[in-house]
Amino acid sequence: MNFSKYVLFLFVACMSFASCNTKKTNKDQVAYHCPMECEGDKTYESEGSCPVCKMDLVLLENKPILANTDEISEESIFNLTSKWNTEEGKTIELKDLKGKPLVMVMIYTTCKAACPRLVADMRNISKQIPENNTDDLQYVLISIDPETDTPKRLKAFAIENQMDGEQWTFLQGSMSGVREFANVLAVKYKQISPIDFSHSNIISVFNAAGELVHQQEGLGVDNKETVQEIKNLLK
Amino acid sequence: MNTVLRLMICILFSWITNVNCQSKMVSIEGGSYIPLYGRDSMKVTIADFYMDVYPVTNKEFQQFLDDTPKWRRSNVKRLFADDNYLMSWSSDTALSENQSLKAPVTNVSWFVANDYCECQGKRLPTVDEWEYVAMANEELPDARTIKGYNEYILSWYEKPKTFNNEIGSTFKNYWGVYDLHGLVWEWTLDFNSVLVSGESRKDVDNDSNLFCGSAAIGATDLMNYAAFMRYAIRGSVKAKYTMKNLGFRCVKDNNQ
Amino acid sequence: MRNLKSIFHRASIALMGTLLIASCSESVPEAKALKDASTIAIKGTMKAELTAPPFVPAPVGDRPAKKLIVNMEILEEVGTMTDGVEYVYWTFGGSVPGSFIRTRVGDEVEFTLSNHPDNKLPHNIDLHAVTGPGGGATSSFVAPGHEKTFSFKTLNPGLYVYHCATAPVGMHIANGMYGLILVEPEGGLPKVDKEYYIMQGDFYTKGEYGESGLQPFDMQKAVDEDADYVVFNGKVGALTGDNAITANVGETVRLYVGNGGPNLTSSFHVIGEIFDNVHIEGGSIINKDVQTTSIPAGGAAIVDFKVDVPGTFILVDHAIFRAFNKGALGMLKVNGEEDKKLYSGVMQEGIYNPEGGAIQSMPNDETEKAVATNKTLAQKIESGKQLYTNTCFACHQANGEGIASAFPPLAKSDYLNADVNRAIDIVLHGKTGEITVNGVKYNSVMTKQTLSDSEVADVLTYVYNSWGNNKTNISTSTVTQRRSAH
Repeated sequence: MNFSKYVLFLFVACMSFASCNTKKTNKDQVAYHCPMECEGDKTYESEGSCPVCKMDLVLLENKPILANTDEISEESIFNLTSKWNTEEGKTIELKDLKGKPLVMVMIYTTCKAACPRLVADMRNISKQIPENNTDDLQYVLISIDPETDTPKRLKAFAIENQMDGEQWTFLQGSMSGVREFANVLAVKYKQISPIDFSHSNIISVFNAAGELVHQQEGLGVDNKETVQEIKNLLK
Repeated sequence: MNTVLRLMICILFSWITNVNCQSKMVSIEGGSYIPLYGRDSMKVTIADFYMDVYPVTNKEFQQFLDDTPKWRRSNVKRLFADDNYLMSWSSDTALSENQSLKAPVTNVSWFVANDYCECQGKRLPTVDEWEYVAMANEELPDARTIKGYNEYILSWYEKPKTFNNEIGSTFKNYWGVYDLHGLVWEWTLDFNSVLVSGESRKDVDNDSNLFCGSAAIGATDLMNYAAFMRYAIRGSVKAKYTMKNLGFRCVKDNNQ
Repeated sequence: MRNLKSIFHRASIALMGTLLIASCSESVPEAKALKDASTIAIKGTMKAELTAPPFVPAPVGDRPAKKLIVNMEILEEVGTMTDGVEYVYWTFGGSVPGSFIRTRVGDEVEFTLSNHPDNKLPHNIDLHAVTGPGGGATSSFVAPGHEKTFSFKTLNPGLYVYHCATAPVGMHIANGMYGLILVEPEGGLPKVDKEYYIMQGDFYTKGEYGESGLQPFDMQKAVDEDADYVVFNGKVGALTGDNAITANVGETVRLYVGNGGPNLTSSFHVIGEIFDNVHIEGGSIINKDVQTTSIPAGGAAIVDFKVDVPGTFILVDHAIFRAFNKGALGMLKVNGEEDKKLYSGVMQEGIYNPEGGAIQSMPNDETEKAVATNKTLAQKIESGKQLYTNTCFACHQANGEGIASAFPPLAKSDYLNADVNRAIDIVLHGKTGEITVNGVKYNSVMTKQTLSDSEVADVLTYVYNSWGNNKTNISTSTVTQRRSAH
């Protein structure tokens, strides 16, 4: 490679990154509204106070975009490039799950205390979704013990727990892939013996574009809110 | 291409001097010890490994950004770093005037730290490895019961703004590692294995039923409150968080 | 939650009883207050005014309950403990005690806790006014450079302590992470002329009292409860000289007094004044004509009194060495006309020769607490109990009560008591599909349990011998037979 070409290459490289040096270039129009929504959905273009309750107007959060484009947003879990094996023995990336809302939980199959409850919570959530929506979303159970939970084992677990339908997916990843994914969900876990883990009990709901919309933490908690969030996504 | 060239130079030079492309490492002899949060005096065993002598510096990180555009401030995905990512830098690849090249890089997320180490053929240390090396003072591999050792750590909690001090400004420990205490917090590979909730009083009451395998968090030594704070900080962060007082260093397995 | 409420409800009824007997109290807490507080509708939103000690925000008066926005910032910074002595304080809002929060019953407080990016440590907040897990501690655990928001409804009127509850909790409190939140009753507290905010705290430093320089915190002294400084409002002299609080003759003064601890109880006293009214422990009972009121660590009191004569009145912790040797001393300066009838000053001097003295001794009562003895259970049941806790507890719950519409009960269970073999089979092989237990239908999945035959026998024996079941004792051989039967 001759020197002048090299310089040119560097120059072009620099240029191409310089062009995206501003933060969030594609920002939508900002809008302010009253936090109490005294005037319903009315918005203002600049800061100020609500004429009704005199509260300071606040910035209106942008609603997350929905997935009918190929673009994925910065917040999407589909940015993860880790590889996963399903209980059917297929190898996928998370973005292969794109297009349907996702309900995700991290468990491991040899767990006796919390996971049966988490699995039951998932089942209870799925029972509250109208039958005709069954195919419109995906329940994903990710193993935090990829060494033990092979696709074969996950398949057996699925059958045992009557979660072998199309809408259920079980995933085995690599050790580092699981750690990274847990970090995206803010799930904590720790191996405390060859077969046991401590872990957070979190069920997460993602929209079809892979953006986190809701998390439910705890065991056997009231899942009304979670179900409502899922129904909102199915509308 | 650029990288290949760089590596060539690197390999050439590394025989002679420690240039910045690969920071210096020392070998750590494995062993077993009881960490702060163990199960009823459960020992953990550490295999031999290599650890960076210093935390990763602003200068090293700047070079990494030259080679890895996806981690520059304007390109980084929000999933992988929060809004404070490299907030003190004046641009995508330039430090601001008041930042020292030799200071540890901070305001970096777990994701970028993880990637940085992997790009070098290394990895982040586990909590257990980090704590194992950090037990040492100048003379002893395990100085946790020495008053002066704890006082040194605690005095750091009371010193403001140490994140712009240069690497090597603290003591050289038994293993030849610097700056584990007294400079900045450091990321660990499995920081999210620390199940400290915000309700610390709950964490110690053996409420084991919330966890599979009933691993309640019990401190083996409640007096070891210097370490408590490290666990608290690990429990309070998420992987995309970036903080002024939080940097990282890498380790490598010893496969011999 | 409902349980908690009913406990409170009962407690308030009990309180009523006490009051009827006491009958010297003016403000009667309504037994219904709590039940109603959760249903008080909010009208509008306002940003809470936060004040640094010794000042308090404006009274709520008769405003309706609102959504109240509270933004609090945590700062770790060096401050002065006393002349020549510096200390790294951890603070809510940059002061010790932290900013005073003033609310009324029924307010919906939206609380944002921000941890300054220069800080080194994670923190959180436990507000004693919150009915919820950890008083908000779990929801507000926040790393440096981040913030957390949670909201709560104020249900009980009173003066409450808030503090940091991050491990090591004692150290966070000992470094000054505490303050007060006031919940006024409907219509507000009676009007007074002057209101002030005072909070006592004990501090533990490497050096002794007065030893100069930047003094680090001393954990050992804190554990031993051997305080170097006991002070009002975070430092020696925070309320003396130019910093003294003031009033004019004839005015009514109300002090919101808290005690952050971490360890010591305050014997709060104003030398030369008598408290006309004391809200004991910051609650609803009012005691009158009090000389010294006791404020436990993590507690508070509201005291008010009318100042009738001018002069400087000294505020102390009447554990008196703390006042004169450790800093627990403040001043209230009252300006105005003297009234010789109320207080004369010195009238005459003379010589006095005592005839002798008597040594007084104090009676000393010591009561010993009875030690509870542990009941021992049969070994089998004991081991079964362990297994139950590890394996069954999560679904069937601690007392076998199960979980409504998800997991059937094991307590007084007709389904269980009807057929022992069936119960063994379920543990061995799992169970799916609809079953009816005590007249309620359940349709869930129990997977087969990986237990040895003796473990199955133990755990089932434990279940059968608990919670009103039929006391069957299952042998290992029975389980082995059932296992090979399939």
